[in-house]
Amino acid sequence: MKGHDPVVKRLILDVLKPLEPPINEFAVKLASLHGVDHVNVSLAEIDQSTESVKVSLEGSEISIEAVKRRIEELGAVVHSIDEVLVGKKPQVK
Amino acid sequence: MYRRINEFIHLLKVSGVSGISRRYFVMNSFDGALTMLGVIVGAYVAGVVNPKTIIGVGLGASLAMGISGFSGAYMTEKAERLRKLKKLRKAMLADLDKSLHNRASRLASLWLATVDGVSPFLAAMVSITPFFLAVSNIISVEHAVLFSISLIMIVLFFLGFFLGRISKENAFLWGLRMIVAGIATAVISLLVGGW
Repeated sequence: MKGHDPVVKRLILDVLKPLEPPINEFAVKLASLHGVDHVNVSLAEIDQSTESVKVSLEGSEISIEAVKRRIEELGAVVHSIDEVLVGKKPQVK
Repeated sequence: MYRRINEFIHLLKVSGVSGISRRYFVMNSFDGALTMLGVIVGAYVAGVVNPKTIIGVGLGASLAMGISGFSGAYMTEKAERLRKLKKLRKAMLADLDKSLHNRASRLASLWLATVDGVSPFLAAMVSITPFFLAVSNIISVEHAVLFSISLIMIVLFFLGFFLGRISKENAFLWGLRMIVAGIATAVISLLVGGW
């Protein structure tokens, strides 16, 4: 009998990050997470030491905790979770 | 191993140490080479041309420059990096303890201290290698002095050449400028040693 577990398929975050690493490297580091297929990072604001970016992640099974940990490792801070898309993943029992 | 090296390079890149590494490398290698030039020429003019003495003085000077370079640079860089990290923490309103910026800051201090300590030591050691051959009677002391001075000029030329390449100017001319500085040092040492 098949069950269905809800999984996060899309996540949009408001993130504050230092200028290093640059957004292309930042995106690559997030895309290397298991369950993440696409990452879009767009610059919203920039000042002398920091930049505010919108991070959009899409994948088959995104772990919000893993994303937050990776963002913290990169020296950035999640200000808010702006959007979440959750879908059901078929599970064979 | 490959992953560790990549991470190491990435952390150095984040901490922005490439420019200051180059400066420390050239300045301190220059110091090491010219110090030994002064010692060798001064000793020769003063008549103290025992190769063991030159090696002893050279080793002592190299170690002193290396240790002082390492410890001085480590404390200076640590202070500057901590200041920069605290400023970033304030801007981010986060402690950044688990971040790569914290790791990069500590690694940068160690890296720059190593460059600052190793470069004069290496330059000085390269300068006195002909005297090891003189101790083993493979070459005469006079030849050792000549080869040593030649090695120092070569080191100076390559340091200048390196600077010329960095600044995208005539590297050969930069190399020659460094040699002129070396010759000026040798002449002053000759005059002071001869007095």
